[in-house]
Amino acid sequence: MSGQGSPLRQIPLLAAAHLRHEWVLTLCLVIALAAVISPLLVLLGLKHGTIQTLRERLVEDPVFREIRPTQTREFAPEWFDGLAAWPGVGFLTPTILPLSSVITVVLPQDSGTALFDLIPTAPGDPLILENGGAVPGDGEVVLTTEAARLAGAKPGEEIAVRVTRSRGGRSEAVEARLKVAAVLEPRAGSLARVYAPLPFVLDVEGYKEGYAAPGRGWPGETPQPYPSFDGAVLLLPEPLQPIVRSGLIINTGFGRIADAKPGRVRELLGFEPPEGFAAYELLAPGSPVTASSLRAIEAKLRGYSRALLPYAEGVVLQAGERELRPVGLSIGAEEAAMLGLAQPPWPAFSGRIPKGEGLVDCLWPVGADGNGTSVDVRAPGVKALDFLLRPVGTTTFERPVVPVELLGVLRTAAQRGVTFDRRTLTFQMARGGYRGFRLYAKSIDDVPGIYHRLREQGVEVAAEVEAIERIRVLDNGLSRLFWLIAALGLCGGTGVLVASLYAAVERRRRDLGVLRLLGFARRHVFFFPVAQGFIIAVLGLGAGFGGYAALAGVINRTFAMDLAPGEAFCVLPEAYVPLFCLSTVALAGLASLVAAWRATCIDPAEVIREQ
Amino acid sequence: MIRLEGLVKTRSQGDSVFELRVPAFEVAPGSMVAVIGESGCGKSTLLDILALVMAPSSVDRFEIAAHSHAPPADAAALWAGGDEGALAALRREFFGYVLQTGGLLPFLSVRRNIELPGSISGGVPAGRIDALARAMGLEGCLDRMPSSLSIGQRQRAAILRALAHGPHLVLADEPTAAVDKARARAIMDDMHRLAREESAAVVVVTHDTDLVMELADAAYTFDLEAVSPGMTRSVCRPVQGRVK
Repeated sequence: MSGQGSPLRQIPLLAAAHLRHEWVLTLCLVIALAAVISPLLVLLGLKHGTIQTLRERLVEDPVFREIRPTQTREFAPEWFDGLAAWPGVGFLTPTILPLSSVITVVLPQDSGTALFDLIPTAPGDPLILENGGAVPGDGEVVLTTEAARLAGAKPGEEIAVRVTRSRGGRSEAVEARLKVAAVLEPRAGSLARVYAPLPFVLDVEGYKEGYAAPGRGWPGETPQPYPSFDGAVLLLPEPLQPIVRSGLIINTGFGRIADAKPGRVRELLGFEPPEGFAAYELLAPGSPVTASSLRAIEAKLRGYSRALLPYAEGVVLQAGERELRPVGLSIGAEEAAMLGLAQPPWPAFSGRIPKGEGLVDCLWPVGADGNGTSVDVRAPGVKALDFLLRPVGTTTFERPVVPVELLGVLRTAAQRGVTFDRRTLTFQMARGGYRGFRLYAKSIDDVPGIYHRLREQGVEVAAEVEAIERIRVLDNGLSRLFWLIAALGLCGGTGVLVASLYAAVERRRRDLGVLRLLGFARRHVFFFPVAQGFIIAVLGLGAGFGGYAALAGVINRTFAMDLAPGEAFCVLPEAYVPLFCLSTVALAGLASLVAAWRATCIDPAEVIREQ
Repeated sequence: MIRLEGLVKTRSQGDSVFELRVPAFEVAPGSMVAVIGESGCGKSTLLDILALVMAPSSVDRFEIAAHSHAPPADAAALWAGGDEGALAALRREFFGYVLQTGGLLPFLSVRRNIELPGSISGGVPAGRIDALARAMGLEGCLDRMPSSLSIGQRQRAAILRALAHGPHLVLADEPTAAVDKARARAIMDDMHRLAREESAAVVVVTHDTDLVMELADAAYTFDLEAVSPGMTRSVCRPVQGRVK
């Protein structure tokens, strides 16, 4: 067989020599190809550059990543835990009632005070971090430009704030001095706003609602749980006249009055009424019985000797393995004497929770186990409530006797969170839900997903979804347009290549025949047009990118005034460049196949004598 | 070198059929064989078959060998098997060609043209081309394009291309048809001389008997006969008697 020389290796050289020999035709072909490639690249660059510029403008401003609730409703703390774990959620903090979200800032030079919005923040807050701020720590705040201007404060200085409330017709206020950790850029908003850590904001909210903030030395109540009841039992030595009886359910909050059999009274209160007593059960179907309803009854029955005993039905406590069904009974000496009962060692029911730790006192049934020591118990509720009962005596009842206020509190705990402080032996209302949130998505692309998911949950929210989706729609539209034009251009470019390469083969039939005669096989001459296709594709790409560079430069310079530094209207996405080159070369290869097939069909005997 | 027996090639064009029969054809190594005949007698067909670019319709024996002791390549079998690659390899290895009008590739310089057969077979030793070009009187033409050469120079360049890579056989198809008589004689003499020096056999096809009879070691010619109104048969036979 043949020696070192390889016919296949000679083919590209011959193909190149041929193209060089017919350089005018080659040049035309390269220009034709470049005339397809350049505009496509410019179009691609314009599409990409424009979209990127628009997106970057959105991406830069965290406002476009914010999702705001548009209604005030209660969000449970657990709900926030779930939401924070959603994919795409970048920052989340609960917020409080908008009405409470204000703080009075003392203005300098005795010019009075001004009411600023108070917004909670937390580490990672993009609104603060991306507007030149630093997340404030405890005792610090961040101000908007307007707030800083009004308050005349600079970063590092202190401002005095005042939290006011009105309680019992009196106006109360506390003051605090807060360090200005940072002042935000104007972009963060034109309103006077104060950003403070969430605990501070919660304390402000609590203070406004009348509660104390012991950590800050702000006086007020502790959030005590209120007692609520299922109904009340009314015991009288004489039966009531029907008209008085019906009067008890008019304007008292009660809706129904019924005779109560002794067995029923025993079930509810642990004892049976004395012989001859009339027993009625007062009910308020559908709503809890509160102290005010009981007071209304007391008012209507003034002058009667009677005992009005609220009850909470079905309270079951878990004491280890044992189940306790305590009886709630808070009566005064007079009532005790009337009913023939021993007076419990705690005050009569007043409608209010007694201060201090008396609520956990209990009377243990005579002879029952566990007498004398505290008993840990657990009550079911919104959250299981662990507390203890402190036996202070014994009772002849079969069931433990506790202040009825305790049962009222436990009934409330079945609906709202209540906590027990073992140190002070008191109950407190657990914090309810939050009234809103501040939510920022990780990227603008995450906004629509979170937005729609929240709306599916029934949370009314607003976001710059439209701005983001507008860009997406524009991007999709431009992409479609680009691919349409690209398809047209590709058809044209491929057509030109197919025709030219085929024509070259036809023109060079004799030369190709001579090559065959010299010892090139069919499979060798097959690659002659293929090589030419590749060479032209590469030259066309070079010219095309050159044309693109020139055009893109002109475009970017023309629009430079409308763009921020670093922005450009015409930018080729880098990933597309090799893709574009590869597909062009591949297409050229494909386009040359017709000519290649034609070249292999040449019969040297037929063509070598042609002139 | 080449041994051909019982070749039949039938070509039909429209209604007319042309049949070439070659009972026996042989080229001895280093010899010069003239194939003489008027146009249409089938001498180009014979040359194309020898050049392995036209398939015989049928052939009893078609062997190509570098010299008398070497094992011959069976061209008949390669054709029958359709092994186009092996045929092309034989062409590269054994043959050089001179076409009627040279057949130089117009897009390559004269030098590249001459180098080409060598570059796809065994290669050409450095300096050989320049030496051959001097012998052919083409010293100044090597780096020009074929189109800038005179017809005579092109034919000389074509002869150089056919000989440069040291083939065993040069096939020349009317190499002097395009030049005047005096030049034709000179070109033919040069080709003959060079082939001798290179010890390459030559098959030269021509209609000009005078031009080759003195140089050729053997000669073949054709007898044309009309078998039927639509069929012409041409039989190749050796020219009797001493040629030289």
